[in-house]
Amino acid sequence: MNKGLATTIYGITIAFFALFFVYPIWHTVKEAFVTPEGSITFAYIAELFKNPIYVEGLINSFYMGLLTTLLCLLIALPLALMANHWDFKGKEILNSLILVPLILPPFVGALGIRQILGQAGVFNAFLIDLGLMDANAPYDWLGEGQLLGVVLMNALHLYPIAYLNISAALANVDPAMEEAAENLGCHGLRRLFRITLPMIMPGVFAGATIIFIWSFTELGVPLIFDFSRVTSVQIFHGIKDLSGNPFPYALVVVMLVATVFFYLIGKWLFGRDIGASSGRAATGRVLKPASPMANLLCVSSFVLVTGLAILPHIGVTLLSVSEQWYGTILPQHWTNQHYLDALGHPLTLNSIGNSLKYASLATGVNVILGVAIAYVVVRTKLPGRQFLDAMAMLPLAVPGLVLAFGYLAMTREGQPFDFLILGENPILILVIAYAVRRLPYVVRSAAAGFQQTSVTLEEAAQNLGCPPLKALTKVTLPLIAANLIAGGLLAFSFAMLEVSDSLILAEQQQYFPITKAIYALVTSLGNGPHLASALGVWAMAFLAITIVGAGVILGKKLGALFRV
Amino acid sequence: MVSIQIRGLVKRFGSVVALNQLDIDIASGELFFLLGPSGCGKTTLLRSIAGFHLPEEGEILFDGDDVSQVPPHKRETAMMFQSYALWPHLNVFKNVAFGLEERRVKKAEIKERVEEALAMVKMDGLGNRKINQLSGGQQQRVALARALVVRPRCLMLDEPLSNLDAKLRIEMRTEIRRICKEFGLTAIYVTHDQKEALSIADRLAVLDGGNIAQVGTPEEVYRHPRTALVAGFIGETNLVDGQVAFQSGDDIYVKTAIGELVGRPSDPDWTPQPDEQVTVSVRPECLSIDISPPAQNAIAGRLTESTYLGEVAHYSLSVEGHEDPIHLSELNPRRVIRDTGETLYATAKPEDVVLLPPR
Repeated sequence: MNKGLATTIYGITIAFFALFFVYPIWHTVKEAFVTPEGSITFAYIAELFKNPIYVEGLINSFYMGLLTTLLCLLIALPLALMANHWDFKGKEILNSLILVPLILPPFVGALGIRQILGQAGVFNAFLIDLGLMDANAPYDWLGEGQLLGVVLMNALHLYPIAYLNISAALANVDPAMEEAAENLGCHGLRRLFRITLPMIMPGVFAGATIIFIWSFTELGVPLIFDFSRVTSVQIFHGIKDLSGNPFPYALVVVMLVATVFFYLIGKWLFGRDIGASSGRAATGRVLKPASPMANLLCVSSFVLVTGLAILPHIGVTLLSVSEQWYGTILPQHWTNQHYLDALGHPLTLNSIGNSLKYASLATGVNVILGVAIAYVVVRTKLPGRQFLDAMAMLPLAVPGLVLAFGYLAMTREGQPFDFLILGENPILILVIAYAVRRLPYVVRSAAAGFQQTSVTLEEAAQNLGCPPLKALTKVTLPLIAANLIAGGLLAFSFAMLEVSDSLILAEQQQYFPITKAIYALVTSLGNGPHLASALGVWAMAFLAITIVGAGVILGKKLGALFRV
Repeated sequence: MVSIQIRGLVKRFGSVVALNQLDIDIASGELFFLLGPSGCGKTTLLRSIAGFHLPEEGEILFDGDDVSQVPPHKRETAMMFQSYALWPHLNVFKNVAFGLEERRVKKAEIKERVEEALAMVKMDGLGNRKINQLSGGQQQRVALARALVVRPRCLMLDEPLSNLDAKLRIEMRTEIRRICKEFGLTAIYVTHDQKEALSIADRLAVLDGGNIAQVGTPEEVYRHPRTALVAGFIGETNLVDGQVAFQSGDDIYVKTAIGELVGRPSDPDWTPQPDEQVTVSVRPECLSIDISPPAQNAIAGRLTESTYLGEVAHYSLSVEGHEDPIHLSELNPRRVIRDTGETLYATAKPEDVVLLPPR
């Protein structure tokens, strides 16, 4: 590629990031420290820490993040170790299924969890049927505050991220490293703790970081559980009286600082690069065929975890076809009325259309930007390309809520980016918001594609008279198509399920995306939750069709879709 | 140190037979080499002795005790891996100390022995280095120290020098032999580099397709290969097929496509009978060149290529009736023949012409 073009791409992407990543964050920070009169103040931040409600929210958020992360590791680590150790029956398919919960909308699943673990829920009904619980005094599993339900739903949604990272780290360990320990007398669990775990720690940390940041600032799930004593929900409710109130901004800043702080501590403790991947693996890993006992253990663990993770969504599906479901294991009466009602409801069809529109446009932006950035980073020697790479990864580390707030602030009336709201239509700002948040996935998968495709293939085309850009489109892009589809699909799914931006930026009913429509239905009276479930099932069906469709295109390697 | 006997060892991977009924005896304190083309089973055999593969059939005896079902961490062997397998999260000292810690050696003794081991491989004072701060040669020494420090019953080396440059390779192989002999170690060394094996082995085994092709000292295997494969794998050779004509004293006359050759069987217990098919092996350095036909073992051919290397000159002759060119090398050449196309004669003494079973 000629240098001029590379520099142009570099300039455009840096400008894009400056406008839609740095600027909104800066804008939020500014609002938290500047009084309406224009002087700088720390009073807002100080005020926060004097207010017990905000302090409790922060503590709860921290617990929500920490417990979710620990639970995810607890689920994912044994599974990854098993899959790395044994060759068991049905491994390929189980290995793919275990990842599916990542693309099931968690705040829809939260509806299901309420139905299952609530006081009049399925689990209690089951215990009462067995005679293990008094029907007159059912226990409330979700308890006061419902933190347990939130953490459970988050963990069941996010553990695939930990599983992917740990599996990748394990695959990078030269088996000879473990054999050398075995050879010197170190065996079993001792070997796991002395050799294997320390070597995969950076991978574990990478997964844990993403999960922590995600769940620390999770908005959708606590909102559905009506758990308002976490910072994210407090911020969301704070928007209602936004114009005069600086506290939501101050909270956002505290959250951002806390995220960076926890990240640095974690990095210092666990994430130091030990250069484990620099080893030259000489022997391929030969997996042991599982003994009947091991087979049983592996298969049942994988099935159990996948089953548990899908259970909330099964609950939602049942809820959507039930007329009445209270205090019994299965609904008492079945109906398809909710689907018909949902189709007739002004919110639903509109929101499905909106979401498809926003998500496809955002995915398009992602793929174009992602290929451009990955190409500059991998294939050129442009100075500062590592900076571009690091920049493109940053959205993973910044809570969605923080960005959403920034976008809101910078597009308010009278602000320079007011024009991005076309009349009242938030389509431009939503597409940008979705695209920025998911760009890292597309950049990573495109970069992996470029790295795996030898540059000599392109050079051969040029050597035979093909101009550079044409060589790129005729040779390299077709070769990395699978990577691009995988990255794009992940970006699309996450955009369809996006909560923070959708809830905060879409203010008019006719522009609601699916997530906001579901939230509006859940909080409305009457058959709202049933309609919300029906809409949730529609959304899941759409996603399932998309993923399966792509799976067919890509061949049977469904798992490759999730490799980020 | 331990002596090792291998009896009828069979190892299969699926339908592929990696080791086929192997028998080997390795004496205590012996530096024993496993050689062979890639895929011959040499690494599989080494890993079976270390316990990383469980054999389907047969026994592995350490001093007479069957260890074939003993897990690797209880065999007290120490392996030096081809990739070194140094743990990146531990520094040099910790890597070397690892095996001693597993053996619950006291702290003070660990320190002493690790420092001693590092000094032995000339890495003293570098204990605090991280693994990724070391050069390839230094990593190789640390890996050797890590294996030696536990005073293993058997030291195993899996192509330990393959990642080093040629000069360092020669230096280190001498060093490995010195250390093995100094401690009287039983050592098994896998390589595909025949020079490494010939230069430092006490004995070596050539493997071929999961079978032992030959076991012997370097001189035995080089001078008296038992099969055409061994002859071709250890050193260079010219192989010609033929049929026995008659015997006269020790000499056996063989009819071949390139003329009558006089030689001796590689196995003294084997006397090929007239009309029996044989393969004849003549090493290039055993052939000398002449412009007039010699009385015996005369091979006439047209010179197709001559290469002058200073201490030696290589010639290739194209011989009528034989597809492959005949290679010969002349040590300390005074005059190099460069006229390609010229007809020349190559000849060898009967004791250098080796008769092998037909290939």
